[in-house]
Amino acid sequence: MSSREQYQVPNAQGFTTGASNNDGNSGSSSIMWYTCGDCAVRVPLEKGAPIRCQKCGARVLYKERTKRMVQFEAR
Amino acid sequence: MAPQQQQQQPTSQDWDVQFNQVRREKLFRDPPTDRTAYPALQAAVDPHIESFNALFRDDGKPSLLDHALAEIGTKTFLDGDERADPAGKNKLTIRYKSIELQKSQVPPTNRWAKNREIFPAECRERHVSYRGKLSATFEYRINDGEPHEFVRELGQMPIMVKSNKCHLQNNSPAQLVARKEESEELGGYFVVNGIEKLIRMLLVNRRNFPLAIVRPSFQNRGAAYTPYGIIMRSVRPDETSQTNVLHYLSDGNVTFRFSWRKNEYLIPVMMIMKALVETNDREIFEGLVGPPQSKGVANTFLTDRVELLLRTYKKYGLYSKTQTRAYLGQKFRVVLGVPDTMSDYEVGTEFLRKIVLVHLGCQDVTEQQDADKFNMLLFMCRKLYALVAGDCAVDNPDAVQNQEILLGGFLYGQIIKERLEELLTVSFRASLRDYLRRNPTVSFQSETFTKDFPMAIFRRANENIGQSLEYFLSTGNLVSPSGLDLQQVSGFTVVAEKLNFLRFISHFRMVHRGSFFAQLKTTTVRKLLPESWGFLCPVHTPDGSPCGLLNHLAHKCKIMTESVDASTIPRLAFELGVVNISSAATSESVVVMLDGRIVGWCTPEECKSIAETLRYWKVNGENGVPLQLEIGYVPPSTGGSYPGLYMSSQPSRMVRPVKYLPLQKQDFVGPQEQPYMSIACTEQEVIPGDSTHVEFDPTNILSILANMTPFSDFNQSPRNMYQCQMGKQTMGTPGTALAHRTDNKMYRLQTGQTPIVRAPLHNTYGFDNFPNGTNAVVAVISYTGYDMDDAMIINKSAHERGFGHGSIYKTKKVSLKDDSRTRSAKSIVKMFGFAPNSTIRESTRDILDNDGLPRVGRLLREGDVICAWHTVSADYNGQLVNRDGVTHYERYKDSEDAFVEEVRVIGADNGTEPLQTVSIKLRIPRSPVIGDKFSSRHGQKGVCSQKWPAVDMPFSETGIQPDVIINPHAFPSRMTIGMFVESLAGKAGALHGLAQDSTPFKFDEQNTAGDYFGHQLMKAGYNYHGNEPLYSGITGEEFQADIYIGVVYYQRLRHMVNDKYQVRTTGPVVPTTGQPIKGRKKGGGIRVGEMERDALLAHGTSFLLQDRLLNCSDYSKSWMCRQCGSFLSTQPTVSPFIGKRKAVSTVRCRNCAVRLDDMEDVDLMSMDGEIWEDGSGTQWIGGENTTVVAVPGALKYLDVELAAMGIKLKYKVDKKDEIRRGQLVGKKAGELMLTASASA
Repeated sequence: MSSREQYQVPNAQGFTTGASNNDGNSGSSSIMWYTCGDCAVRVPLEKGAPIRCQKCGARVLYKERTKRMVQFEAR
Repeated sequence: MAPQQQQQQPTSQDWDVQFNQVRREKLFRDPPTDRTAYPALQAAVDPHIESFNALFRDDGKPSLLDHALAEIGTKTFLDGDERADPAGKNKLTIRYKSIELQKSQVPPTNRWAKNREIFPAECRERHVSYRGKLSATFEYRINDGEPHEFVRELGQMPIMVKSNKCHLQNNSPAQLVARKEESEELGGYFVVNGIEKLIRMLLVNRRNFPLAIVRPSFQNRGAAYTPYGIIMRSVRPDETSQTNVLHYLSDGNVTFRFSWRKNEYLIPVMMIMKALVETNDREIFEGLVGPPQSKGVANTFLTDRVELLLRTYKKYGLYSKTQTRAYLGQKFRVVLGVPDTMSDYEVGTEFLRKIVLVHLGCQDVTEQQDADKFNMLLFMCRKLYALVAGDCAVDNPDAVQNQEILLGGFLYGQIIKERLEELLTVSFRASLRDYLRRNPTVSFQSETFTKDFPMAIFRRANENIGQSLEYFLSTGNLVSPSGLDLQQVSGFTVVAEKLNFLRFISHFRMVHRGSFFAQLKTTTVRKLLPESWGFLCPVHTPDGSPCGLLNHLAHKCKIMTESVDASTIPRLAFELGVVNISSAATSESVVVMLDGRIVGWCTPEECKSIAETLRYWKVNGENGVPLQLEIGYVPPSTGGSYPGLYMSSQPSRMVRPVKYLPLQKQDFVGPQEQPYMSIACTEQEVIPGDSTHVEFDPTNILSILANMTPFSDFNQSPRNMYQCQMGKQTMGTPGTALAHRTDNKMYRLQTGQTPIVRAPLHNTYGFDNFPNGTNAVVAVISYTGYDMDDAMIINKSAHERGFGHGSIYKTKKVSLKDDSRTRSAKSIVKMFGFAPNSTIRESTRDILDNDGLPRVGRLLREGDVICAWHTVSADYNGQLVNRDGVTHYERYKDSEDAFVEEVRVIGADNGTEPLQTVSIKLRIPRSPVIGDKFSSRHGQKGVCSQKWPAVDMPFSETGIQPDVIINPHAFPSRMTIGMFVESLAGKAGALHGLAQDSTPFKFDEQNTAGDYFGHQLMKAGYNYHGNEPLYSGITGEEFQADIYIGVVYYQRLRHMVNDKYQVRTTGPVVPTTGQPIKGRKKGGGIRVGEMERDALLAHGTSFLLQDRLLNCSDYSKSWMCRQCGSFLSTQPTVSPFIGKRKAVSTVRCRNCAVRLDDMEDVDLMSMDGEIWEDGSGTQWIGGENTTVVAVPGALKYLDVELAAMGIKLKYKVDKKDEIRRGQLVGKKAGELMLTASASA
């Protein structure tokens, strides 16, 4: 996505919307990281890549929890 | 680790009533690697698994499908012209040699998978079916030459979890956890499209037993037919069945009825008898009546009828066995669909093999087996004549005594067998005929045929058996040409809902009578009969429409899934005095039967002693009499059940353990023998000289769930039934592997506790792993008035501490494939993610990541996007690119806020597909709110009416505040004393730190529960009776009465206001009438029906009524003509000078107006009124007397509908409502008198 590289107005939480894949971010912006359902290894997947774990070939991957702050309304 | 394990004791499987926190915690943290700690749980679902295991056995014994293949036998096909004579044609014989089912595996095209096995958890997560490859080995011969073999694949067949074809069979809890299952995964169900489905158990007629039936509908078969009949459901070794019926005709004749491929056929029973064995009239006469000296001869009722039976048969002129068989064969040749090469005699033999008393031989039938069938027919006739004469009572087909259970695995096997036979006799036959038509010159011996045979011809046959099995499981519909001898075609499978664990486990103990009986007007089938004692739970049946039809097995009731070895029984019977000669007089000889085969006959006195001897041997394990053999001794009586000794060793029987008194050992009794036995309930009730058995525990008659109701013997019985229902609706803990499940909807209680008051069975079944409620301090007091009418007040502090706090997990599957058909990467047309160069809102970006999927943990509100996708197509070098630059979004449509719990990206099983399916699990927090439903375990449900502030709650002298306040009026009429006792026991248990045993039937009049727990309370320094002085939270004053306060286990039920409330003022309407639409989901209204209308009228609240019926419904303003009284003739005028944008200015009646063109000698000056134009520019004059009225939209609709039928409605608008021109009087729509006058 080209919009990721663009300047983003910092929002109230002090986070930029783009930088969620901090560690392991190999620079290519279209790579997303997932967790393998079988061997729990982190799997980078490009857009349109076949869905499978590179290590064990598992067919179910989990999306990682967001690194952004998730604030719940505390009541 | 390993050496340590060896020293350790095997995991203990004994449980007491205590909390066992440490042991339980250890089991939970380190699941055992040897065996489960809760064997009872596994035993509860074993009938399902074992019945499936019987299909494909690995222990060397022939499996059910082996039997089925043998019964299907060899099929013969001929080449050449169909219409020509069979002579000179080549013959192709083909049979199934074996059938194989592979365990679930990744397809070989997947090169990446390290682990080739597919586990059930993956299938749940991927929303696919857990199935394995089914293949069959065929053997064929041409003209009886060399046999050749070939293998065909028959598709992917769904596999039962934890069966012998499942990877989870015999897995230890530790392994199960590693494979993403519960540590106590039970199996017994199938995973179909990610949903857990199970085949429910059905009650069917007892096999191989001639039932005497009186059914008036029998008379409809024809003239002379009477209501009397004998039904025999005869079961083959492959567990398929064929029902044979004998009908009594009013002239004394007997006909044999059967149904074959859903058609009924009637044959004189004599013909069958003569076809079975070489016999003569004397033999049949003596077989029915008895030898000349016997008492049976004196029975003139019988002899007259038998004589007639023999005489009337004469007209067929068939005497020998060969003649009769040939006659039968000639008649049934077409029906049976046998090859032309068979002679009539062979077809007759085939008929007897396939249809007549198949349990006595249905493959390679020997002479002896035919003789057995003959003898059985004689016996059935004899019983029929006894029934007609009134010597034998009617057998009740609704009693468990005459029923057995059709197990899911067996039914599954029946379907497989039928599909296999269908494949050979229909699909293959059709494709072979097709082939021979296209190549008329090809003979079976030719080269081309040998080349084409298996591949080219089989390819044209539909051999996907797996698919049809999957269809069966997912819909529960049975598509079968024969009907499988069952009375229903749908409703065979149910979803094993994991709402909470109690509900889940109940599914596997559920026994249905059949959906056929659900439509029956009579309620006799639903009755609770004493025969069910110990087999079906008397408490655990739902109320309402399935009441009595849907039962649950008592928790100790087992279902046999295998035959026990009864091979020594006939020999033993002869040694004990059984002979071959019999008489029709039951005082002289009674039958000894084993699995529907007549072993012999003996006197009634001998029969009793044989039964007693065999039972002794059976319990003691002597002489090879198996323990689970059922010895149904029916004693002689006058006009009672037909006496005899009916033994059964075959599967599908229910059995239950009781103690045999002479040996003080465990015996298993079945439902057929039980009514004639004397089984004492408790040791005290043993009657010396009469009782032979005693129950191990009186609670053995209750189902698992009914056993969980504490002190259920103190309650009024319907309350226990209600609890069984509510226990299954509780928002509890469905399991611990929630992270690996993708159920559409899952409920979870965050703050579950173990009940203080529980039966030891609670631990035996491991229900501490699945807590179902919370212990609450309950005060029974009428306080604040908010606890009226079954409402309950919750302490706000208790609520804040998490009392009853739960969440709902919903899984949304988003698939970009249009249907389930697997597509190659080339045909992918959509992909997840944002289309390149499309503008994306910041708010969308906030929710979705770069992959177009939501961020895990993110809050979603109504209307938020949950994923993005775009269309793609392949460019010149095969790359999928988006061309339109449009991003499409899926949205979250529910009104409640939810959090993204998990996002699963799902690949195809070949590992090559890009992302096409995601499954998004959402969590909806549901803390208790006013209007949510709660219940205790005694059928005492209530709705939360207030969350009362803790400061204003009453408090006791020790400073205890109730968590829950309920109203004392909930008790007198419902008589749930068990709840009082639970409250008392819970209080004492909480004070002493004890788990209290709440097993029913433990206390009696001398040792009362109140006294036992009262003393415990006294020891803790509390009032013996359980009540305490309480102080008002508001004034601080002591109440005048002491308040009953204690600890009760409360369940939160899944019925929550958030799923139910329905509010609307305006909203979507039905377009034709303008009235609000129905349905909560769509924002519709609730109907104010006739009764509601009556109530409002009675209250005189006419304005409210008008508001409901008109203003909030189909209120509409409408123009009408006052002159002609019509809605339909009015039309707006169109000014020729102003464009279309101007709103309706004036409305005129076209009917009352006069067209200017039609008027002769128009004098525009003398014209009264102005000229107006309609849409097409025609000029009119007049029709000015129009007005606006407020009417229901439905009225206008009615008018239009009637007009379409040529009926005109004329409304009279009252003179008083006329618009008074000239004077300035406030305009008023006013009362409008509508009188409709219809004129055709």
